[in-house]
Amino acid sequence: MVNVDEIFSVLEEKFGATKESKDKWTVTAIVPAAYLHNAVQFLRDESAIKFEMLVDIAGVDYLTYPNHEGPRFAVDYAFKSMSTPGARIRLKVQVPEADLNVPTLTDLYANANWYEREVFDQFGIVFTGHPDLRRLLNHVEFVGHPLRKDYPAQKRQWLSTNDYLLPALEKRLEVLGYRVVQRSKEVETVDHEFLEGSIKE
Amino acid sequence: MIVLDHRGKRQSLMPLNVGPSHPATHGCLRFLTALDGETIVASVEEIGYLHRGFEKMVERGTWQQVVPYTDRLNYCSAIMNNIAYCRAVENMFGVEITERCKVLRVIVNELSRINDHFVCVAAAFQDLGGTTPFMYAFNPREEIMCIWEKLTGARLTNSYSRIGGLARDSYDGFEQDVLAALDSTEKALKDLHACLDRNRIFLDRTVGIGKISAEKAISYGWTGPCLRACGVASDLRKDEPYYDYETYDWEVVVGTQGDCNDRLQVRLAEIEESMKIVRQALKRLTPGPIDIVDPRIRVPSHKLAYQDMEGLIGRFKSVYEGIRVPEGEYYCGSECANGELGFTIISGGSGHPYRIKVRPPCLTQFAAFHELVEGGQLADSMAVLSGLNIIAGELDR
Repeated sequence: MVNVDEIFSVLEEKFGATKESKDKWTVTAIVPAAYLHNAVQFLRDESAIKFEMLVDIAGVDYLTYPNHEGPRFAVDYAFKSMSTPGARIRLKVQVPEADLNVPTLTDLYANANWYEREVFDQFGIVFTGHPDLRRLLNHVEFVGHPLRKDYPAQKRQWLSTNDYLLPALEKRLEVLGYRVVQRSKEVETVDHEFLEGSIKE
Repeated sequence: MIVLDHRGKRQSLMPLNVGPSHPATHGCLRFLTALDGETIVASVEEIGYLHRGFEKMVERGTWQQVVPYTDRLNYCSAIMNNIAYCRAVENMFGVEITERCKVLRVIVNELSRINDHFVCVAAAFQDLGGTTPFMYAFNPREEIMCIWEKLTGARLTNSYSRIGGLARDSYDGFEQDVLAALDSTEKALKDLHACLDRNRIFLDRTVGIGKISAEKAISYGWTGPCLRACGVASDLRKDEPYYDYETYDWEVVVGTQGDCNDRLQVRLAEIEESMKIVRQALKRLTPGPIDIVDPRIRVPSHKLAYQDMEGLIGRFKSVYEGIRVPEGEYYCGSECANGELGFTIISGGSGHPYRIKVRPPCLTQFAAFHELVEGGQLADSMAVLSGLNIIAGELDR
């Protein structure tokens, strides 16, 4: 029976992973962003324990973390194995404030799409290659990234209009193999106004 | 809008908006569909109407103050969320809760599961136009709600669990009440099966609707009854057992088709398994302490605080400064009614959580919604939606 520690040593050897000392309970491997996609693909398809499920993606902002050294942001990926019940591993990518790009996992896991949108929404971390990187939980007119530690919790914003899903619907139709030849009337008349925001000073 | 399909045929599609305040969206969800007649060609979803910043709010309070917020995640089975959170923090402390607390937590966990599944099945049937099963399911649910009232003082947002124990012990006559509730649950299940199993209208509306393959469900990160309906026997109570779940005699329920009907039938069958667990747990319920004795984790009782200097200090410290969870990062998932409710907890070693990320089971299920409804009828999307049991409280946090 292979255990997760052995998987970690393979990650260490192949992808230059280092152990996250903050995780004293389970195994968390810090992977360089450049190798993330390959490491995850390895975990899903080739490793001795296959991690078929992406359980969660969590963004972290270490701005006010006591005695923290290293980049300000991090993205935490939690995986779990379906073929070996009970096996779990977490990967972590450190994201410096100067370069907020992390490769996307949307081609490997279907649920990475919404999870990455959420991290983008809350922390402003950009997932390169994501097909549709929009806000997920916060409002479309929202300015800023609320889970960053320097975003004041009491701050209020005036949000006026509904999210406008027609462009997303057109995108989805194109994914399904349709080609939009004539857009909906609604798109053309208010698209411009929508982008500017409906509240005029 | 006018589109060309993959063979170059011209089609006129109508964009139709559903929600956010639609009777069948149970909370606030919105999806926009492109309709060809009544067939959904494409669909996109929008969530966030109930986003209230759970993860931002909990960073401002102490570790114990998170518990009431977890109530509001899945408000159909609030106690389960309390327990899932407390279990995660207890694991970080590395403490073992008392035997009586464990058994009581199993009992309230499974009663909540029964409650949650009843709401889901009842609401699903209501959405398809059947009011009778709704009443059948809500009778035993009301009895369980009355137990919650006596046990916790609240019906919906119970906040029953505490880090290191429970808010209070069970009351006199708790066992009898639970047994009575189980009896009416059994009766209701019989009635529900009589309504559902051979009901032509219900079967026509749900069999083969919203089908998903096991591979796809896993790729979407589905957990809980929805994944088990696809035939994957994955249950954290068996895979990563906690609270001695492995010592109870019960089975993981799986479906075969992964369609809407399976998702509801799996829930009904799980109610039976939960009843088994509760009956066995009641026999294990022996008198004993419910809280661990450690003023650094569980606040000392009033009695101690008034009589003992140490108790007074412990109470003062844990109320004003909060308990200090060991520094570090940890992920812990528990099997809740809808699937795996996970907490990624990052502690800076202070009395306040540095960051808590919730992994709501609904999110992954609703993320696959467009795949389930595309190609089906618009009316079927309602059956799919209620079969997934989307709870906006935990979906949007």
